[in-house]
Amino acid sequence: MEREALQAAVCELDAAVSPLDANADRAAVVVEASALPAIVRRLRDEPQFAFAQLLDHVAVDWIDRGQFELIYQLYSFKHKHFLSVSVFVPRDDPRVPTLCRVHPVAEWQEREVYDLFGVLYDDHPDLRRLFLEDDWVGFPLRKDYQDDFMLDRPR
Amino acid sequence: MTVEVSSLKELVEQASGDDRSPDTQEYFVNMGPQHPSTHGVLRLVLKLDGERVLRCIPVLGYIHRSIEKISEHMNYMNCVHLTDRMDYLSSIMNNWAVSKAVEEAAGIEVNSRIQYIRTIFAELERIQSHQLWWGVLGMDLGAFTPFLYGIRDREVLNDVMEETVGARLTMNYVLPGGLMADIHPNFVHRVKEFIKYFRPKLDEYDDLLTNNVIIQERLRNVGILSPQTAVQYGATGPVLRGSGVAFDLRKDHPYGVYDQADFEVPVGTIGDSWDRYWVRVEEMRQSLNIVEQLLDNIPPGDFLVKKLNSKIKIPEGRYYSQLETARGVLGVFIASDKKDEPYRLHYRSPNFNNLWCLEPMIKGDYIASLIGAMSSLDLVIPDIDR
Amino acid sequence: MGIVTDKLPGALEKVPGGNVLVTRFDEIINWARASSLWPLTFGTSCCAIEMLMATGGPRHDLARFGAEVARPSPRQADLLILAGTIVKRMAPRLRTLYEQMAEPRYVIATGACTISGGPFIYHSYTTVRGADEIIPVDVYVPGCPPRPEQLFHGLLTLQKMIKEGETIREPGVRRKPVISALPEGITLEDIQGEMKELLVKENVVDVQHAVDKLKWPSGLNEQSSGKSGANESGAGDGT
Ligand code: SF4
Repeated sequence: MEREALQAAVCELDAAVSPLDANADRAAVVVEASALPAIVRRLRDEPQFAFAQLLDHVAVDWIDRGQFELIYQLYSFKHKHFLSVSVFVPRDDPRVPTLCRVHPVAEWQEREVYDLFGVLYDDHPDLRRLFLEDDWVGFPLRKDYQDDFMLDRPR
Repeated sequence: MTVEVSSLKELVEQASGDDRSPDTQEYFVNMGPQHPSTHGVLRLVLKLDGERVLRCIPVLGYIHRSIEKISEHMNYMNCVHLTDRMDYLSSIMNNWAVSKAVEEAAGIEVNSRIQYIRTIFAELERIQSHQLWWGVLGMDLGAFTPFLYGIRDREVLNDVMEETVGARLTMNYVLPGGLMADIHPNFVHRVKEFIKYFRPKLDEYDDLLTNNVIIQERLRNVGILSPQTAVQYGATGPVLRGSGVAFDLRKDHPYGVYDQADFEVPVGTIGDSWDRYWVRVEEMRQSLNIVEQLLDNIPPGDFLVKKLNSKIKIPEGRYYSQLETARGVLGVFIASDKKDEPYRLHYRSPNFNNLWCLEPMIKGDYIASLIGAMSSLDLVIPDIDR
Repeated sequence: MGIVTDKLPGALEKVPGGNVLVTRFDEIINWARASSLWPLTFGTSCCAIEMLMATGGPRHDLARFGAEVARPSPRQADLLILAGTIVKRMAPRLRTLYEQMAEPRYVIATGACTISGGPFIYHSYTTVRGADEIIPVDVYVPGCPPRPEQLFHGLLTLQKMIKEGETIREPGVRRKPVISALPEGITLEDIQGEMKELLVKENVVDVQHAVDKLKWPSGLNEQSSGKSGANESGAGDGT
């Protein structure tokens, strides 16, 4: 499917989905956090989409807007198309339902985002830190992360 | 809706308390982070019953160097240099992935000479990476000789590439907007010599390892990964192709000049360690074919379309770009806020996603099979941790 | 006898009129230590490929320097070749490994990362800035990654240090750490030449030269003239 057609088709799935135009190179949609697992499941199961693999999960800390953007990159082996699904959550209460039950690999990708951003995944079976020790304080990839250990590059 | 944050300690303690059968006891074994066959500092917490693996919990972070955080304070030209420290065995492909993402986002067009050279180098490096993997696989299974053979041929190819690139491992050759240097005048000639040298060596590899009974016994029907599991667990590259899914970005979404080369994508049948082994050995042959076809057609032109040290600014937005490294799909995510530094740079590393196939692969199997299965995944730990 | 004097470098003295050779115990022990180092394979990242795999391979061949018996277990190793970045989480493990190694133990730190943190020094929240924050280092080998030849240069530097280093009377006293860097204007050919020269020198010992160079411990030389020297250093007692 062409990029625009795919974007339009995905948006017709549900009222919780709306198009996102900031993404320059592939179809992108915004989904409301509560509807995320159901919609990703439908994207996986419905034959005209067939998004079988969750390629990647990224979080971006938009500190000026007070939001985290969680981006899920989906790929369909059948139709060979990509889709990026964004979810916006508030920075002070970052909670989103987990996708583990739809795409098992989400378990670890979400653990990485929890580790580095502190986003909490509801119903995640094993939410632990992934890269840092269990007693690490703070979430280092947040823009306001402070650490005495870090050095600034002399300009 | 519940959120519960746990720790590794709790996980181990809570598991060791319950169900003790009278004859055998379940116990935990730590494998790594300093272990010769984990290729670096991967730590696996294994729950064993006798010699059977019941659970395999990878513990990461022993080489987490915070590359993504550092990249937020660098301009796009500098970011490239950190990428070949991630998956150092496919460093040119890593450079290319970032360069490709930046070029697509900033609208920089590169000429076809650059694309040809990048493609040829990427394929040479794929061969190089698989040579090392081949030797190390032998070593992991207890045979030291393949290691010597693999390194021997790797050095030959290394010399050819070093003449142009000037480095042996972390090559830094591809930049946004071109290449670091033009190819050496000897390059084409020497690559041809290498191809002539290496073709018969691949048959030697077959004699030595592929047709070896011990290797077959240790790899066949070990670590079976079904195509469904492979897709669900995020596997890409030779791991996914070994399970029979013919997905290769070089074929399905061609970049560089892969659409001008004629090659095949080897796929396995049942997805055991043997299939993954075979896919990689076959990929070396296909890469030789690709290089051979492209080598004589390198068009004339500049090797750099963008001035070095020039600041590249990317319009606001999110960009995602991916290419196929020796281990799978490397994705580069850039969120830009119009500055010359990325607002957020994220790498989808192929190893990170391939690693999780380990547990479904070896659950219920012997601990000795774990080594062979892990070797067939060809993990590079610094790429997992970044 | 010919073989012994040919192969044993360092100080040898023929006792006139007899089939007896005299040397110092320290020389023999240090020679043995320096010539059979057993490295521990400690590779965390990129450098490991160059330092442990390429050098172990047939082209570069660490075995030429008697250090090819790479052990995965620290209990059987006495040389720690640090190859790769060290992060905070790995640091305690590195310390444990170092402490498990048998004495005397030596450390070669290879790569920019183990010297200063290398490319990951700024804005990194995990990278340890240099291995010497955790364990003492004997020889630094700079590069990112260093070439295998550079590791050999570092290894030869370490061997030289060991030979001139500890004595039985003063165990544990070492020279300061050194950097085995190439000064400006030195090429690979020079190093190869130097290595060749060194190897030739190590294996074929000019006994007469060695004897001439030999300096006895002060106590023995000065016995006839007076005993002031021996008493000052406190070395002559009971040995
Ligand atoms: S010094 Fe360079 S090559 Fe060595 S570990 Fe550090 S980044 Fe990698």
